[in-house]
Amino acid sequence: MTTELLLYLSLLLFITGVLSAFASSNNKIANYVAHGMAALGCLAAVLCAIFIFAGGTVDLAVSWPKPLGLITIRLDYLAAFFLSVIGVAGCAVSIYAIGYSREYYGDGRRYQAMVALYNAFLLSLVLVVTVSHVAAFIVVWELMAVTSFFLVNYKHEHAGAGRAAFVYIVMTHIGTAFIITAFLLLAHKAGSLDFGSLARAAGNLEGWTKNAVFLCALIGFGAKAGIIPLHIWLPRAHPAAPSHVSALMSGVMIKTAIYGLCRFYLDFLGVGPAWWGVLVIALAVISSVLGVLYALMEHDLKRLLAYSSVENVGIILLGMGAGLIFAAKGQGMLAALAWGAALYHVLNHAIFKSLLFMGAGAVLYSTHTKDIEHLGGLIKRMPYSALWFLAGAAAISALPPFNGFISEWLTFQALFYLPQALDGASGKVFGVLLVGLLGLTGALAAACFVKAFGVTFLAKPRSIHAEQAKEADITMLVPMAMLTGLCVILGLWPEPVFNLLKQILAGAAGVDAYQAFAQTAWHAVIVQSGLVTANIEMPAVAALVLLSGGVAVTLYRLYGKPQVTQGETWTCGIVPTARMEYTATGFSKPVRLAFRAILRPQRETLVDSNPNRYFGRRLSYHISITDIFSQFYRPINTGIINAAQFMKAIQTGSVQLYIGYITAITVLALFLSTRW
Amino acid sequence: MEQLTSILTGIGYAFSIMAAAPLVTGIVKATKAGLQNRRGPGILQAYYDLFKLLRKDSVVSPTTSWIFTLAPYIYFAGAFGAAALLVSGNLFMLIYFLAAGRFFLALASLDAGSAFGGMGGSREMFINVLVEPVLLLVMLTVAVRAGSTDLAAMMGAAAANPLSLPYIFAAIAFLIILVAESGRIPVDNPDTHLELTMIHEGMVLEYSGRWLGLIFWASAIKQLVFILLFTTLFVPWQPAELSPAVAGLWGAGKILVTALVLAAIETSTNKMRLFKVPGFMGAAGMLALLALVAQ
Repeated sequence: MTTELLLYLSLLLFITGVLSAFASSNNKIANYVAHGMAALGCLAAVLCAIFIFAGGTVDLAVSWPKPLGLITIRLDYLAAFFLSVIGVAGCAVSIYAIGYSREYYGDGRRYQAMVALYNAFLLSLVLVVTVSHVAAFIVVWELMAVTSFFLVNYKHEHAGAGRAAFVYIVMTHIGTAFIITAFLLLAHKAGSLDFGSLARAAGNLEGWTKNAVFLCALIGFGAKAGIIPLHIWLPRAHPAAPSHVSALMSGVMIKTAIYGLCRFYLDFLGVGPAWWGVLVIALAVISSVLGVLYALMEHDLKRLLAYSSVENVGIILLGMGAGLIFAAKGQGMLAALAWGAALYHVLNHAIFKSLLFMGAGAVLYSTHTKDIEHLGGLIKRMPYSALWFLAGAAAISALPPFNGFISEWLTFQALFYLPQALDGASGKVFGVLLVGLLGLTGALAAACFVKAFGVTFLAKPRSIHAEQAKEADITMLVPMAMLTGLCVILGLWPEPVFNLLKQILAGAAGVDAYQAFAQTAWHAVIVQSGLVTANIEMPAVAALVLLSGGVAVTLYRLYGKPQVTQGETWTCGIVPTARMEYTATGFSKPVRLAFRAILRPQRETLVDSNPNRYFGRRLSYHISITDIFSQFYRPINTGIINAAQFMKAIQTGSVQLYIGYITAITVLALFLSTRW
Repeated sequence: MEQLTSILTGIGYAFSIMAAAPLVTGIVKATKAGLQNRRGPGILQAYYDLFKLLRKDSVVSPTTSWIFTLAPYIYFAGAFGAAALLVSGNLFMLIYFLAAGRFFLALASLDAGSAFGGMGGSREMFINVLVEPVLLLVMLTVAVRAGSTDLAAMMGAAAANPLSLPYIFAAIAFLIILVAESGRIPVDNPDTHLELTMIHEGMVLEYSGRWLGLIFWASAIKQLVFILLFTTLFVPWQPAELSPAVAGLWGAGKILVTALVLAAIETSTNKMRLFKVPGFMGAAGMLALLALVAQ
């Protein structure tokens, strides 16, 4: 009873948020009231999720007047997990929005529209994971796409924003077409649009239909999740939106696509052939390695984070793919380990990517630039933002004892056992290579975030913007601190999440969750069966970290308190300036050269031709990286343009000719209808 | 209870590795000097250096922030923690403990705002990008046989089947990793920080006094951890039925031989260009894959 009331309360709060945005023409009131409603609504969603996990699945049927009819809502454990992901990240982001969106106060009604859309966006996110009816799902999925489209398009007068929003809406609709196809193929068999009957119908599907459903879901949800090569909208749209919206889009919205994939592969389709998993893993590898490579090359802080989301979706898909393979091979326990890794990473990524986007937003707020080459030295001007951003960077680089480490560790374990499920030497090599590739991804991610944090926050400011930066507002710092706290807690105390994973995966076909997470204790997770053992003891790790740090400090103080004097950085005898600092471009250069076959860097050096070649020369250096997959769509693009050219021949503009067309078609239609 | 003992053993192990690590560095240096016909420092010189540095005051650039102060502790703690994990820990945990130290040291290299430090940090992260996948591949040749990524189980599996062809491939591959991870020629040069060799030593250029001492000590610990991984996992040869004391001596002997091999490699090769390192690591990766297939 309480569970559904909390859900309704959450939805009601969001709707109130939408309405209250327009209630007063005062931007300030709209900001506090509507974002307050959004934060409370997210809190209600988290509470609802807690009640589901504690009290069990709840089925609701809401009767709407025609033509909508009966809409079913099913609050099961999978929905609850994603509800809590949305709620936790959404709550922090909504509080952050109160401080951050002040920047847009001058925009008047447009500002109010943004606040309203923000609430509508959250409403659609919550509904996407809770409705269990095909038609309703499509409606709320579209609501999510449209509200986020308008939010991306908010600064449409800025160069690139409109284009970004256009690419986003096109890609997301291509995705939706595939999602609808997947649903309809299932619903046709089931004869019903209710999710429950879809799951039952999937058992009777012929092989090819089942494969088609699998592929359509993968393409459809994959476009939303941003897997390569369907990612092209993501690095454009996420940076274009206001930072609190980017946090929500990158941290939460792309997770709804993972929810869709989980719904299809865990709930509807059941156990499939092993090549499903192999395909998912192949896409995952491309996404994670290329995503992080492009992230490492970026200087735009928000684009860097967006590409890093592509990488993290890849890591999530690695777990899912391994889970599909294990399930296909009848290794239920390992399947649970792999799916658990994927879901844990969903939660972790939602937390630290929202945190990092909020940090990037704080930097943007006080310096008005996203280009890290123009930043630097912010750690002294924005100490708290720097600290929280560093925590997020450490978590996303999977450093222990932060939460990213736990999910990365689980993924490593799942991939390590993959050779056991595969046949032959090639299967073994395939499985082991994946571990190496995940290691490569991890190392690149570490380099990427050393660069992102180091160049943005450390050393001396490189521009007047960075010099005059001020610490962000308290309403922006507090939610970042909250998420940092979660990063540490979920890193040191993973057991609650393991218990949730056990509940979620218990019902899934081909997944044996009870055995996998059977021996969780407050200090450890143990996966044990025959040869397979894996355990992780975070308290022991924490104790070890403390002890090791203690040894270091003791050594430092071995001979008493030292004297630390200040001396300027040595720069071969000249006065150091910010121009001597290592740049982001320089930092990533070795990787850029080593991977130049993939990255195809192009550089352009312009030398000012002064009459005297030894004095007063000006050099301008420009480097660009082309995303190889931006070429991927070129044939489709030209195809559409050619088709349009061809159509132009028919479209002459003469009314008589059009009447002729209509007559001819009518005659043809009549003829056909009499024949059949 | 069993867990507690294994943790305590690990910690005891870490302290002994910490104590022995400078000695290994000293042995390598002395051997190298001997091979090059120089009169080098004594093998205890590394200890004298460390304790001298730990007594000294520091000079710190006003450009730096608390990251610069914090990094040496994290780097040391990462190496020490990795040493404690050697006997009872998990492979991935050990690797990520070292990664945490590297992450912060690379950040610190950017903190002082000089191009030298940044160059060192950039190259260190680049080398790590090449080393990490190969390190995982080669470790998995043992882990796959053990069916577990727990280091104790891996050492057991290695000891159970010490001599085979795949092992020789894996051992060569790991030796390459060992050279790269301990920052030695041909990948890096531990003795200088000139522009050409500016990797690890370039990264720590701005440090002085006690913090530099911590960093040196941690590097020595890290080197010994990798030597120990090498001797226990990839050359696990040991005559049967040794008493614990003799087994300990046997282990020390293997470490000594590895140190001599490192010195010999460093004397007989040239520092390679930074962009030749990918090929070098690629060779190690191929060997690791061969070892996996040959199993």
